[in-house]
Amino acid sequence: MGIRTKIFSGFLILATMLAVAGVWSIYELSNLGASVQKLLDDNYKSISAAKTMIEALEREDSAVLLLILGNWDEGRSIMNSADELFEEGYKIAKKNLTIQDEKSYVDNIRAKYDAYKSLWVKPIVGTNREGDLDWYSDKVHKSFLEVKVSVQDLMNINDRVMYQTASNLKDRSNRAIMPGIVAIVSSLVFSLLFSYFINFYVAGPIIRLTKGIGEFLETQKDFDAKIETKDEILDLANSIRKLMEQTKVNESD
Amino acid sequence: MRPHVIFRYTGFVMLLNGIFMFISVIVSALYSDNSFFPLLYSGIVSTLIGIFPLIFVPPVTDINNREGFFIVVTSWLITCMVGVMPYVLWGGPFTFINAWFESVSGFTTTGSSILSDIEALPMGLLFWRSTTHWIGGIGIIIFVLSVLPYMGRAGMILYRTEISSLATENFHYRTKKTINILFYVYVTLTLLEIILLLFCGMNLFDAITHSFATIATGGFSPKNVSISYYNSPSIEIVIIVFMILSGVHFGLLFGVISGKISQIWKSSIVRYYIFALIAGTIITVMSVRMHNYDTWLESLRYSAFQIISLGTSTGFATADTSIWPSLTQLIMIFFTLQCACAGSTSGGIKVDRVVIFWKSFQKRLIQFRHPRAIVVPKIDKMAIKEDELEMGILYICVYMGVVFISSILLTSLGLDSLSAFSASAATMGNVGPGFGMVGSMSNFGSIPDIGKLILTGTMLLGRLEIFGLIIFFTVRSWK
Repeated sequence: MGIRTKIFSGFLILATMLAVAGVWSIYELSNLGASVQKLLDDNYKSISAAKTMIEALEREDSAVLLLILGNWDEGRSIMNSADELFEEGYKIAKKNLTIQDEKSYVDNIRAKYDAYKSLWVKPIVGTNREGDLDWYSDKVHKSFLEVKVSVQDLMNINDRVMYQTASNLKDRSNRAIMPGIVAIVSSLVFSLLFSYFINFYVAGPIIRLTKGIGEFLETQKDFDAKIETKDEILDLANSIRKLMEQTKVNESD
Repeated sequence: MRPHVIFRYTGFVMLLNGIFMFISVIVSALYSDNSFFPLLYSGIVSTLIGIFPLIFVPPVTDINNREGFFIVVTSWLITCMVGVMPYVLWGGPFTFINAWFESVSGFTTTGSSILSDIEALPMGLLFWRSTTHWIGGIGIIIFVLSVLPYMGRAGMILYRTEISSLATENFHYRTKKTINILFYVYVTLTLLEIILLLFCGMNLFDAITHSFATIATGGFSPKNVSISYYNSPSIEIVIIVFMILSGVHFGLLFGVISGKISQIWKSSIVRYYIFALIAGTIITVMSVRMHNYDTWLESLRYSAFQIISLGTSTGFATADTSIWPSLTQLIMIFFTLQCACAGSTSGGIKVDRVVIFWKSFQKRLIQFRHPRAIVVPKIDKMAIKEDELEMGILYICVYMGVVFISSILLTSLGLDSLSAFSASAATMGNVGPGFGMVGSMSNFGSIPDIGKLILTGTMLLGRLEIFGLIIFFTVRSWK
């Protein structure tokens, strides 16, 4: 194999190692970015929706108390806007089912909320429920707490999965960095090896050839540079040897 | 010393590692797991760096003993380092130290692990983990030489350095033939065990990985609870048989394969090896029957497996031996130190040296009674030379010294004395599990990083028969 091929193969190997490591790192980094986006899309959206639902439930609870106290206009106004807010949050949560069993959590919220809503959707002001705080504490508040717990369950499961995903991201970032580190270390080792071979099989023989020529010119000593490889340097050494022999013949003539 | 010659031969070893990494890549692709890229990149790096010296350095056959010795030691060290790559690139529990520990443990066929949840590893990586056993079992150099027989004289020198000095005495073949024998016996045993395990109901992946670990007397299992996962007496019997066979001198096994069955029983070393395993099993059965198991059959089943597993330096487990009586644990520590025959894939002091030690003791005893008597100790009618006796005893002393020093160092890191001593003995003998916090159902993950480095040192010392590694790190020998 010629020197040109050997040197080219060295650079090709180095380039391949770096290129593969680079491509893999880019792949892992883009995956990391996608995972972060997925984390936000999958879990954070559901957590945000759950927070909206809890906010709406708190407002509905206040509205029920206002209605019991006979404040019809303000109570109904708050109730309607809170109900809309809850449905908005619920819609987002229902559309964003990304975790196993998340549907059952969402269905549970619907069932509990429907039961809660059935208590205050009928008129309160002007009926026997107006001023009935026992009805509120026994039925309405209990039902309110049940819906709230079911929404919190949805929030908790998303929180848990988000934490797990975030922990996995650490592993992913490690996977994105490691090819680079391995590529740097292996390239360094390879460079040292390459440099050693260039020194031993290219620079060394050239120095020996130069020395041999020098000795021939000074003392007419026979050219005896030993070349181990079968490449251009061996051809060069053979040519020099022939040239010297020819020179000797010419001189003796 | 010609460094380029060493580079050329270690290049072959890296290339071999690369090939097995690519096989693991195929396994990873078949199971569509996430170890595909770590294995692929490791394979590419290993192959490219391995192939480069072959491009530059012309073939060399006239390597001297010193070069042969350095090729073997550097091959072990480089292989262990290359084996780190797939683990580190995959991540998870594998920090650099953990990956180094797992890699050295794999290649030296120790079988100790830092993993608490082995089954969480992707299949490709589990396959690579078992492959490290298989490559290490036969000795990387011998393996390479079997694949590349054209190396001629160079092969003989590498072989002499690689294989235990005791084993070379037992081979009656020329070296090249010996290498082929080792390779054929190794492959035949592996294939036979795979077939029998499949027949016993194990799936193909588990059968291959367990066979790799058994024949190499390694002990890595792809299951968290090792062989006890299957709870199958037939699987246990197959593994017991192959553990015993893997502990016998491969030259004798070749004799059996070639039809000379009686040859194996003529060897006093093998007779002692089998007798010791039977005696150890009987004592253990009686001990655990009284304390741990309700029936004799149950006691025999678990005792035989554990004693043979440790007595062959394999390290598989079917029971938690940490809760077994102290007498049993002491017997198992004895087997952890002794292990199996030279010329097999096992580690430890080796049965041959124990027999030599006993012969030397007998000689002294006779000379005490008859001071003028000339006693020539013999094994199988062959006289043991004085320097062989001395070397055998010296080896045992140094071996115990290393185990003792390693135990002290581990104790200073906060390990209890039983865990420290058994971890040192188990890694030095390339056995795997110890007792206490490194018991058969535990792992080495909780040991501090410095402790893991100490233990990888003892694994390499044990695998390279102590003096090999000491000479390598003695700078003067480089000159």
